[in-house]
Amino acid sequence: MTASLKFLIGSIALTGAVAYLIYAGVQQGGVYYFKIDEFLAEQESYRGEAVRVAGRVTVGSVTRKMTPTGEELKFQIGDFVSDGEAKDTVKVHFVGVTPDMFKAEGGSDVIVEGKFDGAVIHAQSVMTSCPSKYEAEAQQQAAGGVPSGS
Amino acid sequence: MTDVGSMALAIAWVMALYSAVMALIGARTRKRDFMASAEHAALAVWGLVLVAVAALLHALVTHDFNVAYVAEYSSSTLPLYYTVAALWGGQAGSLLFWLLILTSMSSVVHLQNAERNRDLMPYVTATLMVVSLFFLSMVNFVTPPFERLAFTPPEGRDLNPLLQNYWMTIHPPSLYIGFVGCSIPFAFGMAALATGRLDDVWIRTTRRWTLLAWFFLSLGNLFGAEWAYLVLGWGGYWAWDPVENAALMPWFTCTAFLHSVMIQEKKNMLKIWNMVLIILTFSLTIFGTFLTRSGVISSVHSFTQSGLGPYFLSFLGFMMVSAFGLLLWRLPLLRSENELDSLLSRETAFLLNNLVLVGLAFATFWGTIFPVISEAVRGVKITVGPPFFNKVNAPLGLILLFLTGVGPVIAWRRASWRNLQRNFFAPFAIGLLGGVALFIGGMRHYYALVAFSVCFFVLSTIFMEFFRGVRARQAMMREAPHIALARLVGKNRRRYGGYIIHIGIVMMFLAFTGTSAFKQERQITVNPGDSFELGGYTLRYDGVETEDTPHIAYLSATVAVLQDGALVETLRPEKRFYKKPEQPTTEVAIRSTLGADLYLVLGGYDQDTKMATIQAYVNPLVGFLWYGGLVLAFGTFVTIWPTRVPVPAAAYVPGSRERVATK
Repeated sequence: MTASLKFLIGSIALTGAVAYLIYAGVQQGGVYYFKIDEFLAEQESYRGEAVRVAGRVTVGSVTRKMTPTGEELKFQIGDFVSDGEAKDTVKVHFVGVTPDMFKAEGGSDVIVEGKFDGAVIHAQSVMTSCPSKYEAEAQQQAAGGVPSGS
Repeated sequence: MTDVGSMALAIAWVMALYSAVMALIGARTRKRDFMASAEHAALAVWGLVLVAVAALLHALVTHDFNVAYVAEYSSSTLPLYYTVAALWGGQAGSLLFWLLILTSMSSVVHLQNAERNRDLMPYVTATLMVVSLFFLSMVNFVTPPFERLAFTPPEGRDLNPLLQNYWMTIHPPSLYIGFVGCSIPFAFGMAALATGRLDDVWIRTTRRWTLLAWFFLSLGNLFGAEWAYLVLGWGGYWAWDPVENAALMPWFTCTAFLHSVMIQEKKNMLKIWNMVLIILTFSLTIFGTFLTRSGVISSVHSFTQSGLGPYFLSFLGFMMVSAFGLLLWRLPLLRSENELDSLLSRETAFLLNNLVLVGLAFATFWGTIFPVISEAVRGVKITVGPPFFNKVNAPLGLILLFLTGVGPVIAWRRASWRNLQRNFFAPFAIGLLGGVALFIGGMRHYYALVAFSVCFFVLSTIFMEFFRGVRARQAMMREAPHIALARLVGKNRRRYGGYIIHIGIVMMFLAFTGTSAFKQERQITVNPGDSFELGGYTLRYDGVETEDTPHIAYLSATVAVLQDGALVETLRPEKRFYKKPEQPTTEVAIRSTLGADLYLVLGGYDQDTKMATIQAYVNPLVGFLWYGGLVLAFGTFVTIWPTRVPVPAAAYVPGSRERVATK
């Protein structure tokens, strides 16, 4: 057997190992990712699963309380478009450090990640996805005439 | 001024098109004046882009808020330093900045090769101008940087506060230099394929360019990590976020390329593989920009999402199809003339290193685009986070680290038992002993034990190389040790510079291991005067202070750091409120020591009760990441510094100077 052939066999084995690692990694570390409307439509089938949901915080739904391990945050998230309408929403509980861009009155676009128990998403992380809107919003504001903060 | 800028960009577009077409016609018809005209046009493109950049800088610095870009990314209270950095803070500006780097580099290439590589150059010009043409099309037709508003707002929206940070001002430029730098070896690779001159001239000519690109890619990633560590405030420096991965993937393939070209230079093997690697690296730089700009993959810190995605994807497709098409066409000429002699050889070690690096790039790629794949295949988006990347990339990283120790010392062709014994017995023993010592010292984290042992092993192989080299010189030349060391390195820059870079990499692995295995964290809400413990420190929260400036309002918590009852430092983690965009941010406070960082975040503050939530982290060995970066930079300078070798005039043929210099 030539060295090249041996090397080929070795590299196939290595490639197989990488493929397995990737497969196992996805099996263990994969999290379902939804936009809020997709999640609401199929929430029954994801009871007990780790989910990641992007939605907008419903206006007026936020309660915050200081606890010994951080701020306790309860809120609801709903559709990106139905701003402030509490029609179809899901509850989120979170204890930890509230992100800087999270607005207490609601209306922030967030991505929450955690376990869904059938009624509430117990979030391990709440991320605000504001920067994506940054440019579009700036353009609107600039076109509208009065940039905030001036 | 802005009219001049737009005009310059429009003319630059025409010139780039003209240059690419003339270069190709010149190459086909072998008309020298056509080629010369193409190169002059390429230089003109550079000049025109310079004018456009100057125009945008002028608009920024003079606060011309009638220009949309200036109104969106700066304000009258923004410090000058960040006002200049706003040039690459937004989309249109960053594309313009990219063009500036690309055309500057291509001009240098044209000047360097005015007398050399005349057969390759027309295709190099054409490739670089096609890439420029794409970016010029973006700034001319899709996101023009000089667009004006219908009215003049009294104040700008300000640069995103998260970007108002020192590291964030130098992170994008270094990354762009790295990304763009990869187009130079790519362009020469394409020229080699087009002309059929498939020896290693294209590799030797671009060796320094590749190293330079690789260096800036490394720095760009490190600066990005430092920025994330200082600004994002979650206690870590790398989150395997799509935007971070975008910058890391080309680094993997570029590193593989840097190593595999040595095999082609020495053994005339791997010609096809090297072409594939450089095409992949170039494609990944474009793909990275696509990821960052398109918003196809949701990322927590993508600063701009826009409709640029389809353009980048089409361009990427076009470049990949052309490049791989050329490669397929030339496949018969690229057959390797040599075969592997033995499994125990430097060739094999390098090949394995390549496989692992490409494996790392692929795993990262797969994890990054997995949401898209799973949606296409199963109809649901599934994201994978840090656990996936750590699980897959950590073992691969350890193999790579091990090979870092093996590759440079094992013999070429076929390693004899004696060679193995001579080079590896001592390092192996040291690695093993180090691991055992740590185990006896109480370390029970097995991943970390293995990682540290491998680090010791690699460091010993490198140390032995230096030691032997110095001793040989001392014996032969009767030099003092420090002079012997300096001359040893000075006369074999590429080799010893490479070793120094490897030391930097090992130091980074120490940091990776320390932070991933032994990180401690605690999150607590405290009243003023309360204390808590973490990692041998007692932390006492003493209350908050406020400060107000026209640009920013500050709220900082005072935390006394005590060790064994004695005050060692007072840290002030902050919350800031940037007034123009009305955006709050978090500023961490860090006490750095060689062993570990104490990292504090002010998580929340309640005005009524004066209670504060504090997140505290102890990150062991994290400092080695930045020190490793410094060592890596030093090693790169050693390698890249021009060597002056007298070339006898008679022996001079185009390309020969480079040939002599690299040996």
